[in-house]
Amino acid sequence: MTTVAHAPPQAHDAPMSFWRKYIFSTDHKIIGIQFLFVSLFFLFVGGLLAMQIRWQVGFPGKPMPGGGILPESMVVNGVILPEYYIQLVTMHGTFMVFFAIMPLLVGVYANFLIPLKIGTHDMAFPRINMWSFWLALLAGLIMTAGFFVPEGTSRAGWTMYTPLSARPDLSGATVGQMLWCVSIVVLGLSSVMGSVNYITTIINHRAPGMTWFRMPLSVWALFITAILAVLALPVLQGAAIMLLFDQTLGTHFFDPVAGGQALLWQHLFWFFGHPEVYILILPAMGMVSDIIANGSRKPIFGYHSMVFAIVGIAFLGWLVWGHHMFMSGMNPTLGSTFMVSTLLIAVPSAIKVFNWLGTMWRGNLRFHVPMLNAVAFVSMFTIGGLSGIFMAATPVDIPIHDTYFIVAHLHYVLFGGSLFALFAAIPFWYPKMFGRMMDERLGKIHFWLTFVTYNLVFFPMHVIGMGGQMRRLYDPTVYDFLKPQQPLNEFITISAFALFAVQFIFMFNFLWSLKKGKKAPQNPWDDNGLEWSLPNPAPHGNWERVPNVYRGPYEFSAPEAGSSDFLPQHVKLSTDKEPAGRLER
Amino acid sequence: MTTTAHVRPNYILIWVYLFVLTVVEVGAAFFSGIPKHWLILILVVLAVWKALLVALYFMHLKFEGWRLRLIFLVPLPLAFILVVTTMMEKP
Amino acid sequence: MTHATATANMMHPPVPAEPGAGVYSNKLGMWVFLASDVMFFTALIGSYIILRFGMTEPWAAPGAVLNVPLTGINTFLLICSSVSMVKAYAAIADGKKYFLRPLPGKLMRDGGLKFWLLITIICGAAFVGVQVYEYIKLVEHGFTPAGYREGSLLAEHALADPVKYGAATGAMYGSTFFTMTGFHGFHVTCGVVSMLYLYFTKVLPEKYSAQDYRGIEVVGLYWHFVDLVWIILFTIVYLI
Repeated sequence: MTTVAHAPPQAHDAPMSFWRKYIFSTDHKIIGIQFLFVSLFFLFVGGLLAMQIRWQVGFPGKPMPGGGILPESMVVNGVILPEYYIQLVTMHGTFMVFFAIMPLLVGVYANFLIPLKIGTHDMAFPRINMWSFWLALLAGLIMTAGFFVPEGTSRAGWTMYTPLSARPDLSGATVGQMLWCVSIVVLGLSSVMGSVNYITTIINHRAPGMTWFRMPLSVWALFITAILAVLALPVLQGAAIMLLFDQTLGTHFFDPVAGGQALLWQHLFWFFGHPEVYILILPAMGMVSDIIANGSRKPIFGYHSMVFAIVGIAFLGWLVWGHHMFMSGMNPTLGSTFMVSTLLIAVPSAIKVFNWLGTMWRGNLRFHVPMLNAVAFVSMFTIGGLSGIFMAATPVDIPIHDTYFIVAHLHYVLFGGSLFALFAAIPFWYPKMFGRMMDERLGKIHFWLTFVTYNLVFFPMHVIGMGGQMRRLYDPTVYDFLKPQQPLNEFITISAFALFAVQFIFMFNFLWSLKKGKKAPQNPWDDNGLEWSLPNPAPHGNWERVPNVYRGPYEFSAPEAGSSDFLPQHVKLSTDKEPAGRLER
Repeated sequence: MTTTAHVRPNYILIWVYLFVLTVVEVGAAFFSGIPKHWLILILVVLAVWKALLVALYFMHLKFEGWRLRLIFLVPLPLAFILVVTTMMEKP
Repeated sequence: MTHATATANMMHPPVPAEPGAGVYSNKLGMWVFLASDVMFFTALIGSYIILRFGMTEPWAAPGAVLNVPLTGINTFLLICSSVSMVKAYAAIADGKKYFLRPLPGKLMRDGGLKFWLLITIICGAAFVGVQVYEYIKLVEHGFTPAGYREGSLLAEHALADPVKYGAATGAMYGSTFFTMTGFHGFHVTCGVVSMLYLYFTKVLPEKYSAQDYRGIEVVGLYWHFVDLVWIILFTIVYLI
């Protein structure tokens, strides 16, 4: 076997201009940070949209404070118009799913963590990686532009069901609808490019000794997520193109009058959409595993079964999409098939929950801010998963479909799940990104206030959903049977305002700590990952010479470590052998 | 795992096969009088045969390891499931 | 083994300490991308299959609306470009960076990378050209993405013989035909542009060698994939 001398990137790079170093960067860490800032901005936008939705639902017909700044097409005398309300609902979902959660979990952490955690200098295709960011940003701008065009944005809900979305005469949206389609196609391209990078890098660029079953679960999760993304996003792109053509070229894919099928959209969308929700949760689960092991000072319970559970969830995820369509009039036999597959998929998820609990059991628990949020993830995701079981059973889904019960479920898994995982991951890897710590006290205050207000907002939604309140509904009080629940709606709205206000603590903490945070020690969490063998923030090219890996990622409280309660992957003990076939890289 | 020095396929021969199969396809579609359902089956089989020739010999999948073949194969059952399930939907 | 530096064989790199896919990263990346492209065409072609076989009324007979002989020739052209692509790959694998070189004792000359890749580009561009011509003719005749244009020659034919011309399904025919073949044509165009770019920046300055022709192999994989998709499309769109 030849040794190929391969100088690390920084050895002979000419000094780069500001633009090349921070703006048009091909460094995976900078790209990850770029995604972080842009996605947090879109998360904030999504939250603003939600506040307006909640105002209207909680206080229908009342003038909204600050409503005066919006144009007459949206708000009249401070009162949100129905045409604007439905745009809010559509865009809240679109921004949160595509431009906040997905890029935060994947665009940020796949980019930032993968090369650091597997021990390589950068991604396999750094320039394609850079393009992936700029395309995502372009897609976000195109989507945002929808608010500024005549008739505003799309009005068909983030799920864009046809024929409503295909017919401007029905929905009222014209250019805005086309922009949605174009934005999604561009975003899909960004996602596919990123995923090709993640998959190739993980397969081909692991450090010596970093075998598949020594990879941290965050990396496993991101790997499987990338496979889901690379196969699912193109289907959405195809569907969005067909929808765009129905509006612009006069095609009839989804037009039943001319022979098209409106339900075809739902099949295509959810064939993408279900793997998409696993894209939105698996990286969160992976990062939570890393953080819970760290906070418990114990190896992850059942590492191998955690890996197989991730693979199992991803595999089964392709076979359940019809559970979003139980009420579409589908063939009942088909419905039953989807019911069974959906119930099955609860099993690997439950395995993961038990394993997290098993990890914490009798651990030497450190409740730092990441750990608090990670444990909240486990409990909130469990609640979301349990409500999911209700929906999986087709007969139960019949009355609760398209009610607030569904809204409660999806927010428990996406906010209670993914967002809490992000509230754990952001402070955890913040020192690696910026060289400073986020403030621990502010983090704890933010955590507890968020946890309480969040549950006050979303738990009652199960109740009003069971009571029959439909989702995307402009004014519940027009229905007599919903009027008794209106006080609950008001309660949810007030809690939502509180929840939103609390996020300013996080925002302040994040921004203030960039400059004023405590300077981070090299390994502030006493963690085992390879990334902590580097200074904070990590330098361009990461290592001069990639480290050797001698063990798995969760060797906490290992006897071999002596008095230390952690044993990093790259630390060589006298009993360790060098990995075979070490290649200079 | 390096690919072993394999016998290079005769690309011109594959080209001849592709040409012949195309002629057979067009002939079958327009001049054979085979009933419609059988015709569809035959044409699809011929098309898949041609596609396999391109994949195995021009894209060298025949000589690559199982991992690359797996990457190529994985989307196929997904495509099948999507199309067949949606077609079953039709009342 | 001595220190290998610039002459390291990049086509079969030494096995890294943690064996991965067993192939160099650019190739692995392209295969993963092709898997995603399969899913993209699945959405379009799958929709065509679902829509067409969900119709109760007859679809237009093969050849009634579309020009099968012309497209048959075009198909042959694309297959030829696939052969020339793989010949280009074989040429550079043997280190033949040149255009043409006389073979001793033979009339035929031996083609190198520059020759075979140029043939590929020309055939690929010709394919796109023929397809554009075909589109123009079809639209003139009355076949559009929205269906059979009112008052056109095709619409008249369809009125006269609604079964042969699939009058009731014309709208779906137009929608699916133009979308599938249009995006295929877009993929071909991207391939031609990529090959042109490589031709001028790497092939003409002879930057590829027998030790490193990764760009050729990778663009070749893309090109063969595009040919493969067309093989499927030609059959199920033009012949069935």
